[in-house]
Amino acid sequence: MTAVISATNLSKYYGNVLGLNEVTLDIAGGITGLLGPNGAGKSTFMKLITGQMKPNIGHVTVHGRKVWNNPAIFRGIGFCPENDVFYEEMTGFEFVTGLLRFYGFSPSEIKDRAARALDIVELTKDKDRLIRGYSRGMRQRVKFAQAIAHDPEIVILDEPLSGLDPLGKRKLIKLIKDFKAEGRTVLVSSHVLPEIEALTSEMVLIHQGKILAQGDIPYVRELIESHPHMISVRSSDPRALAARFVGDRSIQKMSFGPDGRTLVVETHKRDDFFGRLTGVVVEGGIEIEEISSPDDNLQAVFEYLVGK
Amino acid sequence: MNAKKAVREVFGFFLSLGRRTGKTRVFALLGLVPVILAVVVRVVLHGRTGDMAAVFTEVLMVFFLQFYIVILALFYGTSVVAEEVEGRTLSYLITRPLPKPAILLGKYAAYSLLMFLMVAVSLTFSFFIMNAGRLADARLYPAFLGYLGVLGLGILAYTAFFTFLGTFLKKAILVGLVFGFGWENVIQYFPGSTQRFSVVHYLKSLLPYRPMGGGGGGVALLLFRLEPTPPSLAVAMLALIAGAFLALACWLFRTKEYLYEE
Repeated sequence: MTAVISATNLSKYYGNVLGLNEVTLDIAGGITGLLGPNGAGKSTFMKLITGQMKPNIGHVTVHGRKVWNNPAIFRGIGFCPENDVFYEEMTGFEFVTGLLRFYGFSPSEIKDRAARALDIVELTKDKDRLIRGYSRGMRQRVKFAQAIAHDPEIVILDEPLSGLDPLGKRKLIKLIKDFKAEGRTVLVSSHVLPEIEALTSEMVLIHQGKILAQGDIPYVRELIESHPHMISVRSSDPRALAARFVGDRSIQKMSFGPDGRTLVVETHKRDDFFGRLTGVVVEGGIEIEEISSPDDNLQAVFEYLVGK
Repeated sequence: MNAKKAVREVFGFFLSLGRRTGKTRVFALLGLVPVILAVVVRVVLHGRTGDMAAVFTEVLMVFFLQFYIVILALFYGTSVVAEEVEGRTLSYLITRPLPKPAILLGKYAAYSLLMFLMVAVSLTFSFFIMNAGRLADARLYPAFLGYLGVLGLGILAYTAFFTFLGTFLKKAILVGLVFGFGWENVIQYFPGSTQRFSVVHYLKSLLPYRPMGGGGGGVALLLFRLEPTPPSLAVAMLALIAGAFLALACWLFRTKEYLYEE
């Protein structure tokens, strides 16, 4: 494997708070997903590899060249930040052309590249509107456009799918995959497993500033599948609902919430449970008021993985 | 991209962006104050053309020198870096093939030009309204250019200092207010060499007309207690102030790590 991005003993502290702890990692071409719960260190890692932060210990290189205070390497890197921030007084077109000026392209090339990037993200029609008037999805897409407009070899996307509706997510996932098909390196962070799963089979699990695992989806899936999920179902008749699940082998434990209207289920097979629940609700005429998963988040899964 | 071209591109980006912000609209409106004052003075002193130079220097230049350019430089200078950090847009700039000093210098230059244009428009109207009765007098125009030059130098020096403050401190505005309206307003009236520790001393030393030297009244005694520095030295000092603080700001911006507040 030829490493495009390489981190060696990379550590970052915010005062006494540990942001990243001795991370050694090689990222090769193709799409790599950086998966971890909020506060795991994903954004810190991304900021270190894009030269926005200086490591306290260790170093990070892109194609063997150091990143901090080395602007030349950014000719080949496109970065899409996590924050929903822009120069709001600009139109989408001005935003992309404005940032393209910093690559030394000629004015006509800047216009061509901006038009192409905005066309890719399907913003041509709205390119002359002020960014402050854009929807969340459009803002995410224009952010993506500025990251790819200069045709970078490496694209680094920090939570690019966050806040998008399902259709917007599907479109952006397709764009990212197209980028990979062109032989580029894409690093995408997310705290949602299915998002990473939709993009790539190659992922890095990060938690509490450490790399927990690096590998393909089946391995991680297996780890996550073995973690019991807690699901809380509030309904008009929780006991009738519980009766329907008593014989279900996917259920490990059931209890009733203090309000007497909630059934709390623990299962290893979350997808199976939800599949069954739909059938039970339809057949039994039980009214469901709310379904929530008190620990259905990566934080819980990762804590389980760490404990394991 | 070489550093010069990088500065030019950043300059163009922020000149275009800066002229349409709410901040620019507010400060451009503030520039109407001396114009209105000029109209009022003109009406009150109708027919007394001889007093205009003294009145202009004592009243309007005080507004320009000790308020308008200071407040402009304070808000634009401290925001060169701070608004990128607070707005979290710094990521868009420092992940480009731009040397960090070029980002700072380009934005400084763009904001300085914006401020200069605002000041120039305001000065032009107020000066020529005040002197509407003697527009045929050829001495008027070099004096106008002299005032404009002094204000331009003031913008460059103050903005460089406030840019440095904004690069260095989180609460730069507060420190800047204390400096601009505290230190500068007090120190300039100290006798002897103490007044030379203020920027405004060098600016006042360059004014084409000074009441202390030519007939200012009681107000002038308060506003222009000046032991002037020779013009060439004053220009050199202002250039040194601007250059030194810009160099410091560039060095800091290059080495310092800016973290966004969560």
